[in-house]
Amino acid sequence: MSTIQDLGRYQYLSQAVPVCGAVDSLSARIANKAVGNEDNAAVIEFTYADAEFISETDLLIAYAGDGAILKSGEQELPCDRPLFIPSGTFIKLINNPSGCRTYLAIAGGWDVPEILGSRSTFLIAGFGGMDGRVLKKGDTLKNEATQSVITQKILKSFNCGKVNYPEWSICRQLLLPANRKVIRVVPANEFGWFSGRSTADFLSAPHIIGRQSNRMGYHLEGVVLHRVKHHELLSTAVTPGTIQVTGSGSLVLLMADCQTTGGYPRIAQVAAVDLPLCGQLKPGDTLNFKEIGPREAEMLYIEREQYLQQLTIAVQTKYL
Amino acid sequence: MQEEVSQIYYLSEMAVTVEFGQQIAENLLTAVNNLNLLLYERPFPGFKTTVPAYATLTVFYDPILVIKSNLSGTGSFEKVSGYLNDLKLQSNTTKAVKGDVVTIPVCYDLDFGPDLTEVASVHQMSTAEVIKLHSAGAYKVYMMGFMPGFAYLGGMDAQLTTPRKATPRKSVPAGAVGIAGQQTGVYPLETPGGWQIIGQTPLKLFDVNRKQPSLLKAGDTVIFKPIDVYAFNKLAAG
Repeated sequence: MSTIQDLGRYQYLSQAVPVCGAVDSLSARIANKAVGNEDNAAVIEFTYADAEFISETDLLIAYAGDGAILKSGEQELPCDRPLFIPSGTFIKLINNPSGCRTYLAIAGGWDVPEILGSRSTFLIAGFGGMDGRVLKKGDTLKNEATQSVITQKILKSFNCGKVNYPEWSICRQLLLPANRKVIRVVPANEFGWFSGRSTADFLSAPHIIGRQSNRMGYHLEGVVLHRVKHHELLSTAVTPGTIQVTGSGSLVLLMADCQTTGGYPRIAQVAAVDLPLCGQLKPGDTLNFKEIGPREAEMLYIEREQYLQQLTIAVQTKYL
Repeated sequence: MQEEVSQIYYLSEMAVTVEFGQQIAENLLTAVNNLNLLLYERPFPGFKTTVPAYATLTVFYDPILVIKSNLSGTGSFEKVSGYLNDLKLQSNTTKAVKGDVVTIPVCYDLDFGPDLTEVASVHQMSTAEVIKLHSAGAYKVYMMGFMPGFAYLGGMDAQLTTPRKATPRKSVPAGAVGIAGQQTGVYPLETPGGWQIIGQTPLKLFDVNRKQPSLLKAGDTVIFKPIDVYAFNKLAAG
């Protein structure tokens, strides 16, 4: 499945319009940075590798993420850096078993209309992105005509006529923890509604991503939680990264397309810096949760944002 | 006014929730809506948006901007909750704000309300009585959720309480008016659904081309006005 996404739609949450946006927002941002775009420019989100395309003009693109490797003929194209693709090049996505989603950025961003403040596709209501739907065979996409100064400089640095790219790349690995299957969480408001044994299981036992997992949410299998407080939760706001516990005690990790409100008790909230890692997990993968405090989650977030800002400057200084 | 325990809790790095209580009650809805309006009048640096619910107001913000601001406290949670606590004290003294009254024309013709006969037979009344009861009420929008433009409505006549359909329909049209348990509501989008469908409105509950895409918002009052097929078609054609 391939859709157009940006970093999400926040202004209409009160009208029950979900956030949407890139599930692995870190990879989407890095792909954009590599071509000199704003982080929020529209990218294509590929799930697995069922896609191929041909360039009808010379292109400046970049990709990031772990779902696929781009190939032009037998030539493997490196990720996390700008790529010059001459007109008429056939590019194919090859499955990358290490992850699930890959993001393709293009100079200026993909040109789709902004709907309710975002270019992200929301499939259920059928708006945003490419006419509110998944990309299909035969679609023609183009990039925005307006491009940043840095994008123009990157373009000028290339030799035309053949696929080529610079020596440098954005080291995405530096931003990722050594073990990408340990997901840090902050206990949520209803954490205390569950038995001590259950919360201990939640934080120590492995969880398996269930088959019924998509952009709305992941079912987590392996642990069943028991409640000590049995009253109903009045429906209230939830957000991507919220982990709900259903009536049968199973876990649902809410993802980008999740509803804006929910009535299941919430046991934890995934740290914002680790939510992109969840975007690379696929059915059958195992993960473990690790508890951190809200203050630590915030410090990690600030650190990450500062680092990402420095990356933008680093790309700019290569083209002074 | 009933005494309620209120608190502010962490939702994520970029959101806190102000909880006014743990039940559906008019005074709590008023408290949520009042704080919401006041916050939009007096936003703090980094404020992004809100999600009002039955008894909670969730406030989204940019933590970087909050930390840079001169709000007191360490960290964005402390800074934002301090600000919201102060604002809450001020909003408690303000009067209840009235939402808009929105009239929704509904065609209760059997073609549009395939479950009307079933609902009537459950309660041993005529379909005309069901329509009369359903369209006599004034409904309050308690909260928005579930899908874009969907309003949780309160105030349905208890005589109309009907369980959901045993087998949900694969597709319910946009604008379908339904009953599920003690609730009534309108589907904004075509979707699978298990509600008892008793009618349909030609109005668009959600339209991305409108400045406010959702027809309804929390705090509004909804009136259902019966219309015939002719009026339905005329309105649907625009």
